[in-house]
Amino acid sequence: MTRIAPLPQEAITDPQLRALMAEAEALGVPDDLFPRILARTPEQAAPLMRALLMSHAQGNVDHRLKEIMRILLARFAKDKYFASLRSAKARAMGLTEQRIDDGCFAYEADAKGFSAAEKIALRYADLMFLDANQLDKPFYDEMKQYWSEAQIMELGAFIAFHYGMQMFMRSLGAGAESGTS
Amino acid sequence: MRYSELMSVDPDAIDAAFFDELRRHYNDDEIVELGAFIGFNLGYHTFFGTLKFYPLFSPDGRLVSQAEAEKLYGASPVSLGKTEAAE
Repeated sequence: MTRIAPLPQEAITDPQLRALMAEAEALGVPDDLFPRILARTPEQAAPLMRALLMSHAQGNVDHRLKEIMRILLARFAKDKYFASLRSAKARAMGLTEQRIDDGCFAYEADAKGFSAAEKIALRYADLMFLDANQLDKPFYDEMKQYWSEAQIMELGAFIAFHYGMQMFMRSLGAGAESGTS
Repeated sequence: MRYSELMSVDPDAIDAAFFDELRRHYNDDEIVELGAFIGFNLGYHTFFGTLKFYPLFSPDGRLVSQAEAEKLYGASPVSLGKTEAAE
């Protein structure tokens, strides 16, 4: 149980939010717990859901890489809710649990087969809330060898937004068992 | 204020007892509003901090370049309020 009770499905009447919930249900991230909690702030629920979905499933960076980054961040945030969810789209694209674990815990190891671009993107997620001081000019210069500035903004905004929502859900005590509400 | 501080520096301290205290002052809808707002800002302020953004205006209200703002505000920008307080 979360510390704040989610609204019942039938209490959510905003058509935009309901459409986003249907989209999220197909993707698998988030499940209905997150939007049913957000629905308590009706003005913010749809924009936040839209940002969560778009930043994860759309854009110009491989969705599988962003799925690994999302889970790396959720594990770092100790957010059991988001860490327990998996993207059906990423799974359909071939992403496995082994690859996710490799990406979270051993992405720098050459034997794991991550490209230089993937490694630095994962390092970007890893360092953002571990030691942001390391994300300095030389780091961004290295990022630009592999990613366009638009892609770097896409990655940075994705990292910031998902980590923020993960810390929010952690503060509500949302656990793996409630993630399948 | 404590909710925003703890989410960043000591999230384990946000426990059932903390929520009981929060509920003495805010209803559940307001707590969700606060929590989502704090999470959003926690993420984006850290990200923007890595991009070395500086204020667009000098303390006396002039629109300044990022290079000039960096000279004015230094490597670790402080709020305008703190700058004024120091003067």
